Amino acid sequence: MAEISRERFALLVEQAGLKKLTPEQIEELRQGYRFVERMARTVRRRRDRAAEPAHIFVHPRA
Amino acid sequence: MDPTLLTLAEASRAIAAGELSPATLTEAYLDRIATLDGELHSHVTVLRDEALAAARGLGAGPARGPLHGIPIGLKDIYKSRGIRTTAGSRVYETHVPDEDAETWVRLRQAGAILLGKHETHEFAIGGPDFSLPFPPARNPWNTAHYPAGSSSGSAVAVAAGLCAAAMGSDTGGSIRGPAAYCGIVGLKPTYGRVSRRGVFPLSYTLDHCGPLTRTVEDCAIMMQALAGYDPQDPASADRPVPDYRAALTLRLDGVKIGLVRHFHERDAVAGFGADSAPTPAYAAAFDAACHTLESLGARLVDVQLSPLMDFADTNRVIMLSEAYALHESDFRERPQLFGKHMFARIGLGAFLAAADYVEATRQRRELCVEFARALAPVDAIVSANATGPAPRIDAVGTWSTFERPSYTAPYNLTGAPALALPIGFENGLPLGFQIAAKPFDEAVVLRVGHAFEQATGFHRQRPAIAASLA
Repeated sequence: MAEISRERFALLVEQAGLKKLTPEQIEELRQGYRFVERMARTVRRRRDRAAEPAHIFVHPRA
Repeated sequence: MDPTLLTLAEASRAIAAGELSPATLTEAYLDRIATLDGELHSHVTVLRDEALAAARGLGAGPARGPLHGIPIGLKDIYKSRGIRTTAGSRVYETHVPDEDAETWVRLRQAGAILLGKHETHEFAIGGPDFSLPFPPARNPWNTAHYPAGSSSGSAVAVAAGLCAAAMGSDTGGSIRGPAAYCGIVGLKPTYGRVSRRGVFPLSYTLDHCGPLTRTVEDCAIMMQALAGYDPQDPASADRPVPDYRAALTLRLDGVKIGLVRHFHERDAVAGFGADSAPTPAYAAAFDAACHTLESLGARLVDVQLSPLMDFADTNRVIMLSEAYALHESDFRERPQLFGKHMFARIGLGAFLAAADYVEATRQRRELCVEFARALAPVDAIVSANATGPAPRIDAVGTWSTFERPSYTAPYNLTGAPALALPIGFENGLPLGFQIAAKPFDEAVVLRVGHAFEQATGFHRQRPAIAASLA
């Protein structure tokens, strides 16, 4: 996957309300954004609509 | 004899027999800290006067059990009333809490003595960071190398003989990673088994508190004091606590162990590339460890789970989402206070969508159900830990934890108990694996670990720096 552009990433930073970051901090986060994309790909799968989240964590029975 | 060479259990027996006083043991540990910690950096705060006063008081008082007079340390995210608790961050550099972590209350009531507060990665995620006021702890087997984190100082202090035991926390492997790299025992108990109250959170649904010790028996002694219901921890489970030491045996006849080989033999390279392959020495040590378990009477069967990446990235999405929500106001108002690694790692949480978090929690439930089904026909499972020796500390970058497989995350995600312990050495640095079991079955995990440890004797090998000062 192509690296996110500085312009597009600046929009994401603004959208997140992170107004006090230094240019170095923004670039550091941009370098890591590829991991956000990978993680999102891993968890976003087709699953039954009835599949519940583990919003209250309990130990499921086998 | 130097009393710091004793295991916790041995020191406990010596104190009970009147052969060793809490004050003598405490003084010996404090002398070692004074001599060695300038190089190891395992402590943020040393409580010399307080520890000696507590030791003298215990020496004059009635016996409280196996932890009576035993000197320990706490990762510096555990609150300690009247004692600075920094969470390894400039944000809390001068913070002095007015309450104790519930775990410290229980250990103190059982007779433990607090020697000091241990270096931690910033907010249990951001390290090793040389830009912070607290120098990163160094691996006692070779101080040029990384001890792993985030419970770095706790693992280093135990391995180097600067305390008898320590408390760490584990959200993705922060007890078991340092235990592996430092050649000691680390237990992440079942979610809900040990109170998290009074410990700085990283991720509410993944955080676990647990002990780091030199032996499995020491771990069982610590767990006996730690485990149990805490009505003020919303996740605490009201379940009976078994006698952990009584569960320890030297044989494993009749024990059925599931072997998860595909995490390190297939998934690591498939998900992260050829550089993530286990070292040949690790692969051989893991196989030898499995043969040892069989020689003790255990029956091993292969177990298949979803790919490691599914567990690891689901864990990360949940962790970063919850951690970012926790720190968002500081990210917006005073981001310059954070260290470089903590800022970048938790900062990624700002770019995860609500739907990513919900999807991760849905995937979590699926993986928990799959895991429970896989464990149903066996008593315990064995899987890899870090699949090579500790890297040099200066080779660990901001994104290192994202670029390599996390063998520990599956047990945070499923909440199952998991024990890390040594299985050998490579280039003079320790290697380890994990033993896990069904939720609340710490007794089985400790039983398997103890039998393995006693048969192999890796726990008797100590780093040169841990040798007696005498």
